[in-house]
Amino acid sequence: MSLVLENVSKIYRDGPKEFRAVDDVSLEVKQGEFIAIIGPSGSGKSTMLSIAGALLSPSEGEVYLQGENITNLSTKKITEKRRDQIGFVFQAANLIPYLKVKDQLNLIDVLSKQKRAKRSIELLEHFGLKHRINKYPNELSGGERQRVAIARALINDPQLILADEPTASLDSKRGREVVELLADEIKNSGKSGIMVTHDERVLDVCDRVISIRDGKIEKQ
Amino acid sequence: MFLAIRELFYSKLRYILIGLIMVLVASLIFIISGLAKGLSADNASAIQELQADYVILNSDAEMDMTKSFVSRSNMKQMEQADGIKEVNSLSIQMRNATVNGTDKNEDVSIFITEPESMLLPIVAEGNAINSTNEVIVDQSLKREGIQLGDTLTFGEDKEVKVVGFTTEQRYSHTPVVFMTSEKPEKMNAFVVNSGEASLTSIQDEIGSNYEVVTNGELLKGIPSYSQEQASLNMMIVFLYVIAAFVLAAFFYVITLQKRDQFGVLKALGAKTAYLIRSVIGQVLIISVLCIGIGVGLTYGIGAAFPADMPFKLSPIGMLQSSMLILAVSLVGALISLVQVIKIDPIEAIEGAGK
Repeated sequence: MSLVLENVSKIYRDGPKEFRAVDDVSLEVKQGEFIAIIGPSGSGKSTMLSIAGALLSPSEGEVYLQGENITNLSTKKITEKRRDQIGFVFQAANLIPYLKVKDQLNLIDVLSKQKRAKRSIELLEHFGLKHRINKYPNELSGGERQRVAIARALINDPQLILADEPTASLDSKRGREVVELLADEIKNSGKSGIMVTHDERVLDVCDRVISIRDGKIEKQ
Repeated sequence: MFLAIRELFYSKLRYILIGLIMVLVASLIFIISGLAKGLSADNASAIQELQADYVILNSDAEMDMTKSFVSRSNMKQMEQADGIKEVNSLSIQMRNATVNGTDKNEDVSIFITEPESMLLPIVAEGNAINSTNEVIVDQSLKREGIQLGDTLTFGEDKEVKVVGFTTEQRYSHTPVVFMTSEKPEKMNAFVVNSGEASLTSIQDEIGSNYEVVTNGELLKGIPSYSQEQASLNMMIVFLYVIAAFVLAAFFYVITLQKRDQFGVLKALGAKTAYLIRSVIGQVLIISVLCIGIGVGLTYGIGAAFPADMPFKLSPIGMLQSSMLILAVSLVGALISLVQVIKIDPIEAIEGAGK
C-alpha cells in the first residue's frame, strides 16, 4: 500500500459548534493505482487531499505513507517527507514566477541538496518541453505550465502523486491530455496517484472514483 | 541563495527602486555624519586635541571655559597638589586680527600659555615659538592667504609674527593662534599633566573651589557645541529609523504579495529556515550594494565641496555607519520573516483547511 488513511477525521471548532470537514474516512491506495476524488465544493475533498499530502494533520485517525505512520511527525520531518516522497500538482500549476522552466525542476534538487540535472532534462524532453527550458512561466501556455508542474512533481521520483484540480485552467482537450499524461506516469512507473477534480470528462482515465459529500465517502 | 538571486534578477525594477531609496538614505546619513564631524572639528578641534590630561576650571563656570577665571596665586597650590606633575595656564581670547597692517582681518581665538607649555602644539610647517612676539597658527589661516613671517595685530597694543603652522586647532569656528606669555593675565583655566593620578583624587586634593574636567566634558561646555551636534545627530537617528521602516514596509508588502508562492514552496518541501535565509539574503544583497554605492557617492560629493566647508569623512566612522545601516535593514526585515514563518503550506491547496 502506498497510502493508507485509517478512520481519519478533521474537526474544526467554532465556539461550541463542531464542524467535521472530513468525517471518519478510510482509504487505501495501491501501487499503480490512480484515484479520482469528486464532490461539490465544501465537501471536504481538498481537506482530504491535504491530509493525504501531509500538509494537514488529522484530528483523529492515522495516516500511513509507504507503510510508515506519519500522523504525528514533527513539522521538519513532515516537510522532508513531502520533499522526498510526495509529488504535488497544484491547481493553476502554481509555478514560481521568477524561475525558468529548468529551474522550476532544479528547485527541488536545491531543496533536497541533490543533483539530478540530467533527469530534469530527460523529464522535460519526455513531456515535449525541451525547447521551452529557458522560458519563464508567463511565457508558457496553460497546458505547458501544467506539464512543467507534473515534471516538477516527478523530479524527486515520489511514490505518491497528488493533484489538486489539474485541469481547472485548461480547455477540455488540454485538460484530458494532462490527466492522461499523469495517469501514464503513474501506471508506467508503478506510482500511486490521487486527483481531486470537478471535471467528470476525465474520470474514465482513473482506476477508481470516490465521491465525497459532507466529509464522508458516499460511494466508491 | 538559489531563489533570492533569481528573484532579484527577475523583478529588477522593483528592487532597483527600493535600492535607489536605500542609496539616497545611506548617502544622506554619511553626508550628515560628515557635516557633524566637520562642524565638531571646526568648533572644538583645539579642545579635542588639547595636550593635557585634565583641565581645572573655576567651579562656578559650569564647564564653560570662557566663564571660568583662575588666579595666578593659586597656581602654586596646584603644583604642590598630590598627583599633579605639571601645571600650565590657559587664557582664551576671541579677537580680530589685522594682517600686515592692511585692511585685511581675520577672526581668531588666541590661546595664551606659558613658554614651554604642554599646550603648545607640534608645528607642521615653520618653527616653534621662541619669543612672546611669535605665534603659531592653525593652517586654515593659510587658505586665507596668511604666510610665515606675516604680522598679526590685535587692537592697538599687540603685534606678533607668524612663525609656524599647526593642524587641527580650531575653536568656536575660528582658527586658533597660540601665543606665549611669561605671566599670562586673565587666565581661564589650569591644564595639568597628572600621570597616573585619577580625576577624583586630584579633585579631592584641590578642593571644591575648583572643578577637574576631561577634554570630553569641556566640549559640552562650549557654547553651541552640544546644540549643533544634537540637531545633526537627531537627523541621523531619524534617517536610521526611516531606513528601517522603508525596508520593513517594502519587504512586508512584497512578502504579503508572495504568500501563495511561499505556501507552494513550503508544500514542495522548502523548510521555513531556507525561506528565511532567502529573504535575509535578499536584504543583505540589496543593503550591501546600496551602502557601497552610498559610500562612493558620499566621497564624490565630499570631494566636490569647497575646501573651507566643515565636512570630514573618516573611514572608521563610515564603516560604523555602514554596519549600523546594515543592522537596521535586517531589523526592518524581521516583520516579513514573521509572515514567512506563519504561512502554512496548506495554502497551496485551494479550499482546504478553512
